Amino acid sequence: MPLLALEGVGKDYPRLDARGGRLRLVADLLRGRAPAGAFRALDSVSLTMRRGESLGVIGENGAGKSTLLKIIAGVVKPSRGRVEVNGRIAALLELGSGFHPEYTGYANIDLAAALLGLSPDEIADRRGAIVEFADIGEHIHDPIKTYSSGMIVRLGFAVATALDPDILITDEVFAVGDESFQKKCITWMERYLTNGGTLLLCSHSMYHVQKLCANALWLDHGKSRAYGAAPAVARDYLAFHEEKMARHTSHAKIAAGEYVVTSLAVVPVGGGAEVDPVEGFDVAVEVRSPDARPPVVAIGVVRADGTPVYGTTSEVDGVRPVQVAADRFAFALRFNALPLLPGHYRVRAHAADPEGMRLFDHHEAAFVVAGTTRELGFCRLPHAWTAAGERAR
Amino acid sequence: MLPAMLDDAVRLPASSAQSRLRALFRNFFVREVRTRYLGSTTGLAWAIVHPLLLLGVYHFVFTTVFRAPAFGTQSFLAFVAVALWPWLAAQEAISRATVSLAGHAGLIRKAAFPQETIVYASVAATFALHLLGYVVVLAVLRAFGQPIRFEGLVLAVPLWIVLLVAVTGLALALASLQVFVRDVEHVLVPVLMIFMYITPILYPLSLVPDALRPWVAANPFGWLVTRMRDALLEGRIAPQPADAIAAVVAVALLAGGLWMFRRLAPHFEDFL
Repeated sequence: MPLLALEGVGKDYPRLDARGGRLRLVADLLRGRAPAGAFRALDSVSLTMRRGESLGVIGENGAGKSTLLKIIAGVVKPSRGRVEVNGRIAALLELGSGFHPEYTGYANIDLAAALLGLSPDEIADRRGAIVEFADIGEHIHDPIKTYSSGMIVRLGFAVATALDPDILITDEVFAVGDESFQKKCITWMERYLTNGGTLLLCSHSMYHVQKLCANALWLDHGKSRAYGAAPAVARDYLAFHEEKMARHTSHAKIAAGEYVVTSLAVVPVGGGAEVDPVEGFDVAVEVRSPDARPPVVAIGVVRADGTPVYGTTSEVDGVRPVQVAADRFAFALRFNALPLLPGHYRVRAHAADPEGMRLFDHHEAAFVVAGTTRELGFCRLPHAWTAAGERAR
Repeated sequence: MLPAMLDDAVRLPASSAQSRLRALFRNFFVREVRTRYLGSTTGLAWAIVHPLLLLGVYHFVFTTVFRAPAFGTQSFLAFVAVALWPWLAAQEAISRATVSLAGHAGLIRKAAFPQETIVYASVAATFALHLLGYVVVLAVLRAFGQPIRFEGLVLAVPLWIVLLVAVTGLALALASLQVFVRDVEHVLVPVLMIFMYITPILYPLSLVPDALRPWVAANPFGWLVTRMRDALLEGRIAPQPADAIAAVVAVALLAGGLWMFRRLAPHFEDFL
């Protein structure tokens, strides 16, 4: 039995401007009719979470992440679909949202904990632990309105730690508090996960998603765009962003010249869809030459966002193409033992005149380096960890 | 397996859901009482001072300025006091509860809990404060020799309960409607004022012209006020058939209000 299952869940937010329509809307709701949706915030999202199987929800702002978390937390009723919950949920949608500014931190613990679902007995038992975790000293006896935002968050998270939930839902709570408190939160979270806790995390930090979650769900305009193992989803998501950034940077338009790349193919060695970094890939380029002189071709490997990784030309390497037709020349080369990290890349081929002076149009072909990793960057530098003492010598 | 649209309470084991509900209610209630008077130096005294001032003003206007004819054997002070506190409790509970959800919008948007508890706490806090004032005023009037009959409490207490039940029903309906139609709170101000003057609170039904009397007498709150006076001023506590009807109407109001609230509650988050 899954801890949480969503099936085809969707949420429409109704139009808010209609003035006279408000009464009609209430009448509709009372008759049990759904309000006419104006904005589709979420559309047919399905997911399953089992005990200990954490899920990271990623996506751009406005993609529906918060709406999804609110539906799971029970704050928002879905317009369509089915939600099944078999356990106790603690939702930290906004730390300290239940606090009243006029009351002391101590007095606020009660309502905040009751809202999260603790019974009065449990609250009484755990109050001491909450105060200790918040660690804000004598301020616990001051009204909340005198607190700094960091202190409010500390108290809010402290209340949450006192819960013993089956699923913990958090919305970017790691970006809170000072360095030492953040560490405290992460330590607590890791212990919670080690003890079999289940986490539903909504974050823009791919680092946290990959570190804390086995699975990830990528929401795009309210729809589930990718759902699966966290490293793969996070990789695709980052690539999507790199490409998006690249689209925004304007490219100087290369004048349509006489030397034209007519075809470019990138084929993984040994077949398959993704490139094995050890075996590498083959590149085949054909260039049309207007005067039948052998052209030069420039080959570059770039990241999905256009960041150059490596480039060379047939002239630099002293390679001559094979003439396949009167005005056609073919180049072929193989890249292997790639030091590239898993991710999305592109091969770019420019045609140039025989002197290698003028670059003409270019062709691009995408490829994916297979694998998963938690290393950062795009290129693996050979390295070795040495004993700390050795450096001093 | 629990379907999706359950309210949050059912997601917890039943026993802890109950105690959680009570804990939430208690928290909201204490908060409601305290925040109303927090920061005012006289604190809770205002709950009694305000109606006392009103009573003083009415007394001055009606007995000194208008020289209203005698109210039979009753003094004007006792006559009005017995009816004024229940009215103020009902009126204030309705107007405060109507805007109570907007006052907790932040919570409703961020936490899953039975939102009725906010309305309950708002109504209960108002009633608690005015009941306290009522008891004090009755005791003071009695001490000054006014004809207050404490044996009438046998009927007065059930009447307060009927009032509380009916007002809670109205409050639930109006509070949930207010979320969607913001005019409710503005419409309530004149409506409640008019309602007070067409109810025999400041005058006895006997002063109303014959032609209008059946209309004024049909006002359910007028009935409640009359019964309150019967009990506390005359000591007439024998139950009447109308008492049972009133109880049924009150329960029906509560059921209707609750039904409406629960129908609309899932959509609060969209509109708050």
